[in-house]
Amino acid sequence: MDMTLLYTVPHGEAFGLSIAIYFYLTGLSAGSFIISTLAYGFGFEKYKPLGKVGVVIATLLLIAAPLFLLAHSGRPLRAWHLFVYLSGTSPISWGSFLLTIYPINCIVYGYFMFKGDKARTKLFGLIGIPLALMVHGYTGFILSFAKAHALWRSSMMPILFLTSALVSGVAMMILVTIIKDRFFSKDGKSNTELMNGLGQMLLWLLVFDLFLSLSDVGVHYFGERESMETARLFLTGAFAPLFLGVETLLGKVIPLVLVSTPRMRNPAVYGFAALLVMVGIFFMRFNVVMGGEYIPLM
Amino acid sequence: MAEKQYGFLIDLRKCIGCRTCQVACKAENDVPLGQYRTWVKEVEKGTYPKVRRHFIPVLCNQCGESACTTVCPVQATYALPNGIVYIDPHRCIGCGYCMAACPYAVRFIHPTRGVAEKCDWCWPRVRDGYGPPACASACPTGVMLFGDLADPDSPIARALARESVAVLKPESGNRPQVFYAGLDDEASRLVPHGPEE
Repeated sequence: MDMTLLYTVPHGEAFGLSIAIYFYLTGLSAGSFIISTLAYGFGFEKYKPLGKVGVVIATLLLIAAPLFLLAHSGRPLRAWHLFVYLSGTSPISWGSFLLTIYPINCIVYGYFMFKGDKARTKLFGLIGIPLALMVHGYTGFILSFAKAHALWRSSMMPILFLTSALVSGVAMMILVTIIKDRFFSKDGKSNTELMNGLGQMLLWLLVFDLFLSLSDVGVHYFGERESMETARLFLTGAFAPLFLGVETLLGKVIPLVLVSTPRMRNPAVYGFAALLVMVGIFFMRFNVVMGGEYIPLM
Repeated sequence: MAEKQYGFLIDLRKCIGCRTCQVACKAENDVPLGQYRTWVKEVEKGTYPKVRRHFIPVLCNQCGESACTTVCPVQATYALPNGIVYIDPHRCIGCGYCMAACPYAVRFIHPTRGVAEKCDWCWPRVRDGYGPPACASACPTGVMLFGDLADPDSPIARALARESVAVLKPESGNRPQVFYAGLDDEASRLVPHGPEE
């Protein structure tokens, strides 16, 4: 039966670009914090050069990120309501505490690291790991609980967000290592061992991330009506160039090939791959946030 | 006296698509320009000359298991004991999470107040005894029946017992409290296409 929609009222989207940027920044922060704890929390000496710079970046990003939440909110001066009127069923309510405790812990952890107090650095590093996972994992739950939209109402969101956080964090650390070696080291030589370690990490995280993101779209493709429409939006519709082209091909497949080819293990290639990954993960946030709400509900 | 449980029954077989409800709501609730708390969705089925227009007035479903109240981080939106989901405009921070959770897309952010707003079945008007919600009062063909579901003798409870009714998107699990007689499910699910199609 032919049907034509003649009139309805579409209301504006709930989230938008500033929320996508917020997710991107918390992801980068969580990723770089975890890299920072590899040496100081778990004793992987290879990653020691990234300990201090990792925690500084993690703290700065996590101080910048909530500003985008305030910019998005209709009444930013009422942000204190979040700490007074609590709701156990709302991930945003959990997040207001995580977003406070996590940067404080980062600062304490960084303080002991710069002071050279190894035992306390390790302690606050280990406390910080679940916090870092939660501060980014909760953003996945924000979308999972927004059950109106087929793309979001999935238990895939938290793990997908955590994985892409680690991917983008490791990529950023590769770029940081290159900049550090190039401009701030005495001999200007690159730290091959560190670079290869990060490259291997990036490789396997990318494999896992690709698996998650493709299985997500794949299951949606064979899902119920709204799921199918969402999958089509990403595979053949308006978001296909961004999802298939930028996020998946440029941001995941090409960097995966680059870092998995042993002959191409040099800083320039790693740096290029890392840059692609960081752009790709930004568009992953963009696609999930903007694409999730793209199809009107009524 | 037991607490009232409000419900809405909309008989689509009598709707003529005049949108008087839409206009009455704007006037009653001071709804900002470009936004609507209620509207009449219009779908054309078939091809000329075998064609019919379906009108579906959309308003807040005041869901029994409302996703919006679950996700609100500051409990600014909550269900009253009578079932109406209300928004405290002084507590809302305008984060938009309720909008993201509502399967019926009835919520919007007020452009100047910066807080979430939606249809509340004219609760202040009903509470103060000015009669049924503005849309139901204004409807020229008496399509909308508003009343107490908890009272088995109320006109709405009797009509619900008698008629075969449907709700919008029952699979959402929200337990919507707006019931429709004569609802074409497929027509109600038709949404605007994205710009590329």
